[in-house]
Amino acid sequence: MSTRAADTDSNERLALLQGTLDLLILRTLLVGPEHGQGIARAIQQNSDDALLVEHGALYPALQRLEERGWISAGWGTSDNNRRARFYRLTVLGRKQLVRETGKWRRLAAAIGRVLGPELEQG
Amino acid sequence: MFGRGRTPDDFNDEVEAHLQLEADRLREDGLSERDARDAARRAFGNVTRARERFYERGRWLAWDHLCRDLRFGFRSLGKNPGFAAIAVLTLALGIGSTATVFSWIRSTLLDPIPGATRTGEIVAIARGGDVNSAGEFSWLDFKDLRSRAHSFSGLIGFGIRPMDLTGTGKPLRVWGTAVTANYFDVLGVRPLLGRGFLPAEDRAPGAAPAVVLSYALWQKRFGGDPQLIGRTVAIDQHPFTVVGIAPPEFQGSLTGLRMDLWVPLMMQREVISDRDRLNDRGDYWLMAQGRLARGISPGQARQELNLLMQQLVDQFPDAHYGHVDVGVYPLWRAPNGANAHFYFLFPMLLALAGIVLLLACANVANLLLVRSVARRREIAIRLSMGAGRGRIVLQLLAESAILALAGGGLAMLIARWSAGTFQSFVPPTSFPVALPLRADSAVLFVTLAVALSTVLLFGLLPSLRASGIAPAAVLKEEAGSLSGGRPTARLTNLLVAAQLALSLLLLVTAGLFIRGFHNAERFDPGFNPDRVLVASYDLYAAGYQPQDGLEFDRQLVAKVAALPGVESATLADAVPLGFERNTEMVRLEGYAGRPHESMDVRSATVGPGYLHTLEIPLVEGRDFTSNDTQESQRVAIVNQAFAARYWPRQEALGKRIWTLGQWFTVVGIARNSNYDMLNEAAKPFLYLPMFQDYFTHAIIEARVHGDPLAYSSAVENCLHQLNPDMPLFDVAPLSSFTAVASARQRISGTFVGAFGLIALLLATVGIYGVVAYTTRRRTHEIGIRLALGAGRRDVLRLVLGHGLRLTLAGVTAGLALALGAAHLLRNALFGVAPTDALTYLVVAALLFAVALAACYVPARRAMRVDATLALRHE
Repeated sequence: MSTRAADTDSNERLALLQGTLDLLILRTLLVGPEHGQGIARAIQQNSDDALLVEHGALYPALQRLEERGWISAGWGTSDNNRRARFYRLTVLGRKQLVRETGKWRRLAAAIGRVLGPELEQG
Repeated sequence: MFGRGRTPDDFNDEVEAHLQLEADRLREDGLSERDARDAARRAFGNVTRARERFYERGRWLAWDHLCRDLRFGFRSLGKNPGFAAIAVLTLALGIGSTATVFSWIRSTLLDPIPGATRTGEIVAIARGGDVNSAGEFSWLDFKDLRSRAHSFSGLIGFGIRPMDLTGTGKPLRVWGTAVTANYFDVLGVRPLLGRGFLPAEDRAPGAAPAVVLSYALWQKRFGGDPQLIGRTVAIDQHPFTVVGIAPPEFQGSLTGLRMDLWVPLMMQREVISDRDRLNDRGDYWLMAQGRLARGISPGQARQELNLLMQQLVDQFPDAHYGHVDVGVYPLWRAPNGANAHFYFLFPMLLALAGIVLLLACANVANLLLVRSVARRREIAIRLSMGAGRGRIVLQLLAESAILALAGGGLAMLIARWSAGTFQSFVPPTSFPVALPLRADSAVLFVTLAVALSTVLLFGLLPSLRASGIAPAAVLKEEAGSLSGGRPTARLTNLLVAAQLALSLLLLVTAGLFIRGFHNAERFDPGFNPDRVLVASYDLYAAGYQPQDGLEFDRQLVAKVAALPGVESATLADAVPLGFERNTEMVRLEGYAGRPHESMDVRSATVGPGYLHTLEIPLVEGRDFTSNDTQESQRVAIVNQAFAARYWPRQEALGKRIWTLGQWFTVVGIARNSNYDMLNEAAKPFLYLPMFQDYFTHAIIEARVHGDPLAYSSAVENCLHQLNPDMPLFDVAPLSSFTAVASARQRISGTFVGAFGLIALLLATVGIYGVVAYTTRRRTHEIGIRLALGAGRRDVLRLVLGHGLRLTLAGVTAGLALALGAAHLLRNALFGVAPTDALTYLVVAALLFAVALAACYVPARRAMRVDATLALRHE
């Protein structure tokens, strides 16, 4: 099951690349345990609303991460006293985050070099 | 794993919570209740899709797939019931053979003492170095060993004897065991009612007349009356108080022998023998078992016991002649009881049944391969519609699992039925042989496990093969084309050759065992068992003293011998090839003894004219006569093996033997015969005269004209003329004992023979199937050959050649296998060499003939192929 980039009508927002959602979730959970909706919000806010996360797409990713043992989950209570399933980064997940972050930085840099300086428009 | 067990409901809750939280948030931002909810839903995207994706990842999908695969499997098998029936039957034969033999092993080798706890720690202890010469212990030796040995948490000693239970109605003949008081505690058997024996009951001779009854006896004789505890019953005319009832499953500590009651050893004078067997270190009569202390191996225990025994031998040289070796055996190969006969036989049968199972799997695998070729289009369509290869494999495996489970179910029925038939191989005799063979839950479990593992054996390869096709290529083929591709053909050929090889192995083994069985039936045991009536009576139980008893014996023999139709009659204390094995320890004139040599000699005490009655030829000297009495010189007869062993190149006649505290002079040399088993090496044997060595449990043996059993009432009359109240029991023809002795050969001959037949059947079906299928596939090719001018004979040669090449390959490999296997089994064979050329030739010829016949049918069909039709075929 791949992370599907959401292609909605809002063109300014960027669709997610394959595999990046996992990385963003892990990064978000580094701050502390959070429930699904909280994670979605956090990704949106931290990217200054540049990234688009279809909330529904989050769950297969969470499920996958949980199966791999990178995050663990349990029911808890939210700030406004609602029951929610909270996710927490595991030791394995922390390692995975470090590894993936490094990989992503190298990749981004490499792609940047290939693309060269910004082309003038027009 | 986390999340695996999550239910779809749990996931729905989470989604619901998410939507709520998001809506809360949006409301805070100022949206109306309704807008907030809609916006939350919009941000989430397709809720149903999310649920679906959750579902697809979980095991719920796998479960659903399994159900669907099974449903589909049933449908697809239902479309081809012939194939399904053959596959299920084949598997049932294979699994059933294995399950049957396992059920025997389960209730003998694996459960040697039903009702006892942790039988793995219990060992059998016997004098004598090997299983075939299990010697007993004297009470004094046993007591010293028990108090000195540290290898055991408990040691028990016991002796078995037939006894008379009187009190209500006719005396009942029962089998009793005199046991040390710790018997039930060490075995871990808790009585159903009442108690076992108390330590105090092990101290003073004759002081504790207590008895524990078996559950079966309690039910049969006393109607299961719970008030029986504390009441008195009479055993051999002595009063005993019933103190306990054994649990239903417990039948004694000797595997396969059913005891009816247990009394303390200290009561031996009342029920075992009028001799004082508790104060004579040279009187060997106790069998021993022990529970090993924690962390002690049988080997360590053996070492310790031998050390202690040697001390006793040194301390009391008069009670021990020669070297005394003590053996310690796990119960699955205990020298006493049924396992002595089964510990090799059953594992061997299990191995052979395993080969039958492999054959069955190979057959079904071949059927599946052929079927998968026919289903290529179906599978290709499913692949091109987007089914993954894994799904196809799983689906085909589900079909295989249905076949295997159906076969396993049928196999369970076979096992249930055949477990009961086993007892019929052991003819009823005086000995209480009772094999509680049953197919219990452990057998069910193993059968299921075997059935499921066959799925991988026969199903995996064909399903991998079937799913590994290129759909486009297959779909381009003409509909109806059957070309299966070379790899499949190679695989089926290989399977058939392997099948033939395994069948040959089984058939050769079967042939060797059937010949062994025949040899056993025609075997000359050295005496003539035909037309001899055997019957027992018990002077001791009837209260006779030695002097009256001897007179009784003398008169009875005279009366029986005088009956019309009786040629001669005699008495003995044991029946040749029976179950009782008497041994005496001897010291011999003119024989120094070798180091570490045991001086236990097999013996029997017999009446006048014994050798004559049993037709055992005398080599030298004379038979016992009625003149050999208490007053005359002590005399003995030895067999040829005895003379050759102890007095080689010397005159044995006139030599003296010290035993039972007296010197006996050899007056006769008898020809060797068989005493314990059919396949025994000639062993030294000693005959003592009954009028000089009184015994109380006498067996009368009479050679008659015609059917021995026709004389039983006449013999009983003779007995009742002397004592109207004395029962005559265990009346049987002597030949029934020979039948028991050959039971092992009959069992192995029958079952290995059955396995061989199944193997032959499976191999025939296998080779027919493959050759017929290949020929059908080559119809087009044969048509071309015929059109190009090939003759019918060429076609015949083509098809037969294929079959015979397979057979040749299989038979060659099989011969090598069979030679190896027969060599391993050489000890279980009887009177036939493991390399018996006749068996090998006949079996190979049989297999060739069957293969030829199986190939001839498709070959005929190929010869009749019409070239024009065949070419239009595609």
